[in-house]
Amino acid sequence: MRALGPGSVSSLLKIVLDVVYGLMLFVVGILVIAAIGALLFKIDPAIIKQMSINGMPGERLSQGPIIALLLTVVGFYVGGVTVVIHRLRQIFTTLTAGDPFHPDNVTRLRLIGLMLVTLELTGYVISVGQVWIFPNGTKEETSFSLSSWFSILVVFVLAEVFREGARLRREAELTI
Amino acid sequence: MPIAVQLDRLLYDRRMSLTELADRVGVTIANLSILKTGKARAMRFSTLDALCRELDCQPADLLVFEPGPADIEDEWI
Repeated sequence: MRALGPGSVSSLLKIVLDVVYGLMLFVVGILVIAAIGALLFKIDPAIIKQMSINGMPGERLSQGPIIALLLTVVGFYVGGVTVVIHRLRQIFTTLTAGDPFHPDNVTRLRLIGLMLVTLELTGYVISVGQVWIFPNGTKEETSFSLSSWFSILVVFVLAEVFREGARLRREAELTI
Repeated sequence: MPIAVQLDRLLYDRRMSLTELADRVGVTIANLSILKTGKARAMRFSTLDALCRELDCQPADLLVFEPGPADIEDEWI
């Protein structure tokens, strides 16, 4: 099976990414609506008492702004993943068209790398913030993940490889 | 690019159009335009051979060195 072009593995992956992207947009939309709802509407205390997040009692959740803050942070994280998937879709569109060294792919890969750095750092901030906001809640360990940072570096190196490929393509185009 | 292609002058001297030259040489008009406007990065020996043959000239008649700033690295990426 071919790796590039129409009807290839790339086109199959593009379809998968399209589906995932649609689902991610749906989740982000739900989170935004829920966060706005938590700020605007009072939640029934009877429901809240039955809830518990990470060992944190439901009473604490009855504060609308805290729920809104939680939902916003989760929404921000999911939004970041959505941006990464969107850029991957754009890259796979060029791969499906059989044009891997499209100049825009360099910018897209760099953005994916930066977004992955942001998401990784956000994970650390969330773990610190969780302890600060909910001192009695269950602590989730967020340790330094070497494989994550290795993957991020690989993405930046790939961006440079694509930049060189795009430059060579341009050279070939301007060789008469 | 300090190397200029004197295609305009040679075509004028020989009363030949760019379309006619493109047909004779087997290079597209778009590519000849790239050469003419100085946007080309390189020229194949086969292209130079065909141009010199059809224009009845030497490579030195086609290419001239015009001192100026060197081509800078692409900033478009």
